[in-house]
Amino acid sequence: MTRTKECKRVAQPERIGSYFRLELWPLAVVTVSGILYNAGMVAGPYLEGRMAQCLMNIESGAQTLAEMVTLAGAYLLVILSVQGMRCLKRFYVRRFANDTGRNMRRMLYNALVNESREELEKENLGAMMTKAMSDVDACVEGMRKFTTEVFDTGVVLLAYLGMLFYYDWHLALLSCAFTPPAYLVAGRLKGLVTRYASAYKQSAGKMTGATMDRVSNALTYRVYGCEDSRDAAYEAALSDYERCAVAANLWEGTMQPLYNVISMCGAVFILYLGGKNVLGTGWADWNIAAFTTFLSCFARLALKSAKASKLFNSVQKAQVSWGRIQPLMKAYVEPSTALRADGSKPVELTVSDLSVGWRGSPRILHGLSFSAAPGQIIGVTGPVACGKSTLGKAFIGEAAYSGSIRVGAWELRDLSAYERSRLISYLGHEPELMSDSIAENIRLGEDMSPEAFLRAVCLGEETAQMPQGTETFVGSGGVRLSGGQQARLALARTLSHGRQIVILDDPFSAVDQKTEREIFSKLRIWSKDRIVLLLSHRLSLFGELDGVLFLDGGQGLFGTHEELLAKSEAYAALCRAQRAGEEENET
Amino acid sequence: MRRFAVRRERGKKRMKHKSALGRVLRGTVSTNRAMALLTGGIILFSVGCALLPPLVLERIVDGLAAGKPIAPGLALAYFGALALSGFLEAGENLMIVIFGQKVTHRLRSELCGKLKRLPAAYYTRHEPGKITSRFVSDVDAVDSLFTNGIIAMAADGCKVVSVLAVIFYKSTGVGVLMLLVTPLLLGLTRAFQKRMLRTQLANRAAVGKVNNHVPETIRNIRMIQTIFCQRYMERKYDGYMEESYRATERSNFYDAVYSPIVVCISACVIAGMMVGAAGGTQQMFGISVGTAVALIAYVGKVFEPLESIGMEIQNIQSAIAGVKRVNEFLEEPERSVPEGAQRNCQNAGPCVRFDHVDFGYEEGTAVLRDLSFSVERGENVTFAGRTGAGKSTVFRLLLGLYGPCAGRVLINSVDAAAIPDAQKRKLFGYVEQAFHPVLGTVADQITLFDPAIDREGTERAAKLVGLHEKILTLPEGYDTSMAQAAFSQGQLQLLSIARAIAAEPEILLLDEITANLDSETERKILDALESAGRGRTVLSISHRLPQRSGGRLIEIGF
Repeated sequence: MTRTKECKRVAQPERIGSYFRLELWPLAVVTVSGILYNAGMVAGPYLEGRMAQCLMNIESGAQTLAEMVTLAGAYLLVILSVQGMRCLKRFYVRRFANDTGRNMRRMLYNALVNESREELEKENLGAMMTKAMSDVDACVEGMRKFTTEVFDTGVVLLAYLGMLFYYDWHLALLSCAFTPPAYLVAGRLKGLVTRYASAYKQSAGKMTGATMDRVSNALTYRVYGCEDSRDAAYEAALSDYERCAVAANLWEGTMQPLYNVISMCGAVFILYLGGKNVLGTGWADWNIAAFTTFLSCFARLALKSAKASKLFNSVQKAQVSWGRIQPLMKAYVEPSTALRADGSKPVELTVSDLSVGWRGSPRILHGLSFSAAPGQIIGVTGPVACGKSTLGKAFIGEAAYSGSIRVGAWELRDLSAYERSRLISYLGHEPELMSDSIAENIRLGEDMSPEAFLRAVCLGEETAQMPQGTETFVGSGGVRLSGGQQARLALARTLSHGRQIVILDDPFSAVDQKTEREIFSKLRIWSKDRIVLLLSHRLSLFGELDGVLFLDGGQGLFGTHEELLAKSEAYAALCRAQRAGEEENET
Repeated sequence: MRRFAVRRERGKKRMKHKSALGRVLRGTVSTNRAMALLTGGIILFSVGCALLPPLVLERIVDGLAAGKPIAPGLALAYFGALALSGFLEAGENLMIVIFGQKVTHRLRSELCGKLKRLPAAYYTRHEPGKITSRFVSDVDAVDSLFTNGIIAMAADGCKVVSVLAVIFYKSTGVGVLMLLVTPLLLGLTRAFQKRMLRTQLANRAAVGKVNNHVPETIRNIRMIQTIFCQRYMERKYDGYMEESYRATERSNFYDAVYSPIVVCISACVIAGMMVGAAGGTQQMFGISVGTAVALIAYVGKVFEPLESIGMEIQNIQSAIAGVKRVNEFLEEPERSVPEGAQRNCQNAGPCVRFDHVDFGYEEGTAVLRDLSFSVERGENVTFAGRTGAGKSTVFRLLLGLYGPCAGRVLINSVDAAAIPDAQKRKLFGYVEQAFHPVLGTVADQITLFDPAIDREGTERAAKLVGLHEKILTLPEGYDTSMAQAAFSQGQLQLLSIARAIAAEPEILLLDEITANLDSETERKILDALESAGRGRTVLSISHRLPQRSGGRLIEIGF
C-alpha cells in the first residue's frame, strides 16, 4: 500500500503524469469501483420503473405480491452494492488526492530546503515557494475532481445515454438535443458571471481596506475632528459592497436554473411522445416501467451534464495552480554526505592573503592573513560596516573569497557543503529558531541532552523555572522568548552542534555584560581544542582573547590585544570610546 | 454637561440587556418591511411549487395506466412546474442574499458608528487588525448565520414538513414510514457532522503546522544548511504532513460513507413503500401507480433538505462565536461624545491652562501629578522630561482624547474634553511622532477628506513645508495614490506638518518629530516648523527647538 513511512521519490516531478503513476493502486480501485458504481446507477431507475409496473400488474391481477417482494429485495440489494462501490470509489479517490498532495509537497520542500539562501532571496523565490505550497491544494483538488468526473460524468453519461437509446433512439435524440444549446447559453453567460463576480471581489477588497483605514487611523481622524465625514465615506463603501454582492449573486444564482430549464425542455417531448409509446401509437413499444425509467434517466442526465461545467472550472483552476508549481519542481536532491575530511580531530586554521566580498561585487576586504591553533579564541572587530560579518560568511560559502583559507589539510573552497558543515559551525545575527520546544531547538533531531548547553549559555536556570522546563514551546521564530533568551538559545544550539572551528557573529549583543562574561568563561572551557572566531563590536572581552583581527578600511591588522593597542591608534581609540560609553551606562 | 453624561450612562445600561444583533435585525426588518414580506412570500411560494412536478407526474402516469393519451397541455404543465420551481428556488436564494446583505450592511454601519464613541484607550489596547476582523470576518459569520443558517434552515424545514404532509395525504403508510425515518436521518447527519468537525479541527491544526514550516525553513535556511540538517527538516515536514494526512483520511472516510448511507436509507423507504402498496393494505398504503411514481420523487425531496439541515446546524454553531464577538464589541463602554456648539471664547483667559491636573492611564499608576501651567496665545513652549515622564500624555489631555482624573484642562477657558470633535481641526494641528498615512491620494493626506480645504489651501500647506515641488514630480501630482508615492521618512514628516496646518489651526502640537532623522532632513523640518509656527501658539516636545526659536521650557515629571 501507499502508507510507507519513508517518502516516495517522484521520478519526474515536473510531469503531472508522474503523480498519477505513483498512485496506481488507489487509482485501480477507483477505476473498478467507479465503473461498477456508475454502470449500476442505471439499475436504480430501471428497478423503480419495474416496481411501478409490477404494482400496476398486481392491481390488474397479472403479478403477485411475492414477485413484488423479490423485486423490492433485488432493488435493495442492487442499491446497497452500488452504494458500497460508491463508498469505495469516493474513499480511494480522496486517498489518491491526499497521497498526491503529500508527494507534491514533499518534492517542493526537498527543492526548497536544498536551495541556497542566495537563490531564495533572488527573485523572491522564497515567496514563490510558499505560494506554490498553497497551490498544491487547488491542484490536487482539480486532479481529484477530474479523476472523479471521468467516471461520474463520463461513464455515467454514456450509461444513461445508452439506456435512452436502447429504449427509443428517436426520442433520445430529440430530448437530448436541448443540452448543447444549454451549454452554449451557459458559455455566453459565463463572461457576465465572472465580470460581476470580480467586481464583487474588488468591492470586498475596497471595503476591507476602508475598514482597516477607518480603524487604524481612528485616533488621527478623531484629533482632526473628521470622524463623521469618514463614517459617511465608509457608508458609501458599504453600499457599493452591498450592491456588488447582490449583483454577483443574482447572476450566479440564475445561471443554474436557467441552464436546467433549457435542458429539461426535452422532458416535454418525453412525456408527450413517451406517453404515445406506452399507448402503442409511438416509435417504440413501451410499458409504464420503460416510461418512468426513461424519464428519470433523462432527469439525472440533465442534472449531471449541468454539473459538467463545474468540472471544467476546477480543472482550469488546477491547471493554473500546476503552472505555478511546475517550474519549481526539481528532481529529488539527496545531498552528498561523502566525507574526506575528518571532522572529529582538532585542526589548525590558516588564512593567508585573503580577499572577501559578496558574489558578483568587488571585494571589500583585502590581504588578510592570520592563523589560529586549537584552543584559541580569536576576536574580529572594527568600526561599523567594516566587513566582519562578510568575513564570517566567507567561512560558510556565502561570501566569495580569493587567497586561501586552510582548515587542517584542506582548502575551504574545495570542500563540499557537507564537509564544510562537519568542520565549521556558524551563528549569525538572527537566532533562526524553530517553532518547537527549547530542547528540540538544541537537539535538532539528534540524541543529546540539552541541559549542559543551556547551562553553558546561562539559560539553564531560566529554563528550569519555566512551567514546562526544556519542553517549553518557543513560538514561531522564538517570539515567546525575550530577545536575550533567543540569542542565548541560538548560541546553545550552535555549541551543541559545534565543530572544530566555530564562528560567532556578535553573539552577545542582546545580553548584559555580566552574563556575557559568564558565558565567555564557559565558552573558554568548552572550546579547549577548538578554534572560536568571535566577531564582535563589544571589546570588553578582547583583552582576554588569544588574538585580535582589527578590520579598518578594507585592511586587517592581526596581533594580540596589547600589540594592537600599541600599534593601531584606531583600535586604541575604539577601545577608549567603548570604555567611556560603558562607564556612562553604569552611572 | 454633567447631567448629559449621567443620562448617557443610564441609557447604556439599559442597552446592555438587549442583544445588539437583535436590535439590528429588528431595525432591518422594520425599515424594509416590504422586502421582508417578499422574502417570506417567495420562500413559501417556492416551497409550494416544489410540490407540484410530482403531482403532475402522478396524473400523467395514472392516465397512462388507465390507457388514456397524454394531453400536450399536461406535458407542458410538468415542464412549467419544473421551470417555475427552479426559478423560484433561485429567487429564494437571491432574496435571502439581499436580506442578509441588508442586515450585514446595517450591522457594519452600527459597528462603524461605535468607533466614534470608543474611548481613545481602546485603540491603544487593541490592534487595528483585530478590530478590523470584527468588521469583516465576524460580520460575515453573522451573515452566514442568517443566509446559510436560520433562514435557509427555516426554508428547508418548511420543505420537509410540506412534503411530509403531501405524502401523508397521499398515503398514510408511507407517511408513517417517513416519520420514523426522518429523526433517524437527522440524528445520523448530526453524528457525522460532529465527527467531521472534529477531524477538520485536527486537520486545520496540522495544516497550520505544515504551512508554517515552509516560511520557517526559508527564514532559517542559513542555520539549516550550516548545521546540515536538511534531512531532519524534511523528516519534520513529513511528520506534520503525516498528522494532516491521518486527519484528512478520517474525514475522507466520513465523507465517503455519509452520502451512500443516505441513499440506502431512501432505497429502503422506497422498497418498503412498494411492498406495502402491493401487500394490498388499502387503508394504510392505498396508492395507485401514478402515486407510487410521485411518491418516489417525494421521498427524494425529503432527504435533500434533511441533509442540508444537518449542514446548517454546523454553520450556525460556527457563526455563533462570531456573533458573540460582534456583540462584545458593540457593548464596549463608551466615552461621552462632546456635542452641541461650544462657544469659542477667544479672548477669555489663557490659550491653554492645566489646573492641578492628576492623570493615570490605569488606576493606581499616576503619570501626571498636580500639574499646573498655562500658555498664552502666540507663545512658543517646549516640554522637557525623561522618557515616560508624560510629555505625550499632556498632548493627549489637551486634545481631549483622555480626561484628567482630577483638576482641569482648559483650552480658551473651555474644558478640553467638552470641545466638539468638529471644532478640533480649527483649534489644533497635531504633528505625531510617526506619520499615519490614510487610504487615498497625496492631497487626501493633507486635507484628510475635509471638503473645506480646497486645492488652493492644500497647495499652500504643501508649499509652506517645501513639499510642493516634490509632489508635482509624482505621476499624477496631488492626485497620485499614496500607495504609489515614494516619500522618504523626512518627507513623510513634512507631509504630517502640512496636514496639521492645512486648516489654519490656532495651536500647533509637535511631538518629538525630529527623532531618527539625518541632520540635513532635520534642518528642513525645523525650517518648515518655524514657518508653520508663525502667528500660532506652538507647544512642542523636542530638545532642539527652543534654542532656535527662543521659547519657554516647561519641565514635566516628578
